[in-house]
Amino acid sequence: MTVTSLPAKAPAAGAPAGPTRPRRRRRLGYERRRAAWLMLTPALIHLTWWIGIPVLATFVLAFTHYDVLAGTITWAGLDNFTEIFADETWNTSILHTVVYTFFTVPVAMALAVVIAVLLNAKMRARAWYRAAFFLPHITATVAIALVWMWMFEPNIGLFNAVLAMFGVNGPAWLSDPAFAMAAVIVVSVWKGVGLKMLIYLAALQSIPPETYEAADLDGASGPRRFWSITLPLLKPATFFVFVVSMIDAFQVFDQVYVLTPDGGPANATTVMTFEIYRTAFSEFRISTACAQSLVLFAFLLVLTVISRRLTGKDDDAR
Amino acid sequence: MRVKPSRVLLHLILAIGALIMIVPFAWMLISSLKSHAEISAYPPVIWPTEWVWSNYPNAMGFAPFGTYFRNSLLIAVGHTVINLALATMAGYALARVPFRGRSLIFMAILATMMIPTYTKIVPQYLIAKGMPFFGGNDYLGRGGFGWLDSWWVLIVPGALTPFAIFMFRQFYLSLPAELEEAARIDGMGEFAIFGKVMTPLVKPAIATVALITFENSWNNFLWPLIVTTRDDLRVIQVGLAAFQQVEKTEWAYLMAGSTLATIPMIVLFLFTQRYFVQGFATAGIK
Repeated sequence: MTVTSLPAKAPAAGAPAGPTRPRRRRRLGYERRRAAWLMLTPALIHLTWWIGIPVLATFVLAFTHYDVLAGTITWAGLDNFTEIFADETWNTSILHTVVYTFFTVPVAMALAVVIAVLLNAKMRARAWYRAAFFLPHITATVAIALVWMWMFEPNIGLFNAVLAMFGVNGPAWLSDPAFAMAAVIVVSVWKGVGLKMLIYLAALQSIPPETYEAADLDGASGPRRFWSITLPLLKPATFFVFVVSMIDAFQVFDQVYVLTPDGGPANATTVMTFEIYRTAFSEFRISTACAQSLVLFAFLLVLTVISRRLTGKDDDAR
Repeated sequence: MRVKPSRVLLHLILAIGALIMIVPFAWMLISSLKSHAEISAYPPVIWPTEWVWSNYPNAMGFAPFGTYFRNSLLIAVGHTVINLALATMAGYALARVPFRGRSLIFMAILATMMIPTYTKIVPQYLIAKGMPFFGGNDYLGRGGFGWLDSWWVLIVPGALTPFAIFMFRQFYLSLPAELEEAARIDGMGEFAIFGKVMTPLVKPAIATVALITFENSWNNFLWPLIVTTRDDLRVIQVGLAAFQQVEKTEWAYLMAGSTLATIPMIVLFLFTQRYFVQGFATAGIK
């Protein structure tokens, strides 16, 4: 990130230091700073109120017993954490989150990079293709998850009807513990490809065309160019997409909530966010939910730090 | 001109891919207009023989989709307006005025950008619930429901995003200092310089932030889900999810509701693609 410092107080070079000059400059500086603080204050109040304090509160509440009905609060040490890790459902939800991320992120990324490379060529209808791939990203997850739910309908849904044409007897996707997570992953890949493609496309456009000239002279084939030139040059973008997608995937909620209510068949699709939601807002065990949130936060932090390490200095450029 | 076979292949692959992306939307629209007999037929009827437009008014008879739609629209417009007002000011101050502690504040705002939703949502709920003097609460915020089930809670907490401040700061930074100085020599006040000279020059950023804020607000689900229980305060995404849980098999009505919940964004996107793409690409690359 570039932090450009402004030419703050332009030194009056060569100007004779008249008696009125310094005072006027000081007044101007004061007025500007006053205006700046006035403009900044509403935002600072809002961010402190709705982000700063809540984050601190999450950390504090996770180490206390807070009874929301009685309004009492007592120190708990690590009790909440021992409690959640003794909870089978919570541990399963961690596993599901990891499985979900493990399948969603690489698949969507691979598809995204291929589509981006194909779309990077000059061609007719390019903007239309791009719009089509990006459309799922900007539409509401809830509404579109309902459409997928309808397509996954086991008896009269589109999905199984298409499978039947190939002689495959489709399962009861969303109510079968063996397939529910797979269905959620399919929806997420479909929804997630667009944004990743867009970031890749932006990165591809910054690769100068001359880069490919030597390869053209050597007569390198398309796939060869992709593996030997494009992909290595996309490394910074890849790491960036990877981090963002992981963070997103770990926080998946909407499609899980809609497609497989109540954690899915036999809790087959319950993820960390869903457990936090359930603990906090249907059981009202606030402190426990905060402890769970911190575990999720720790996962995200570790993932971010690891990928920063892997990218090294590359990431500082963004 | 000879058509290269590789071109044909390229278009073929992209067309199939694009089709897969579009099919759910098309299926949603078609299903929302099917008769009861055709929607429950097996194998599915691809092209209905009869287009049942009355599914839409009928769906609204089952659930107040009109109210949900209006609520979502009010909230999304509210968020967009407030976010633009607060974030342009904050971004401008951070970009154009040197003062002590500026970089510290900027770093703090960057940090808030990276805070995941789930690290703050539980206390946010408690803050809303404990708002003093609201919803039957006493001066310490006890006894009642505070801001829960009110317009306040739907609009205020989500009205400012650190991302918008960041975006505006970057745009204001790129403006030349001469403009500002010329205006100052003309005797303009600091707020007039901000409002009349500098802000008109960051219109692309305004368009981008406005669209992304509107989109996020329209599509938001978790926050309105946890803070509202009253039917007349439901936003369309929550209303839709609630409707599904009651009327599990009314697929035509569900698809009509889904269409209402997605069409505004789709239309907005198709007309303003450029800004969306720019916004998400810069948000991605920075």
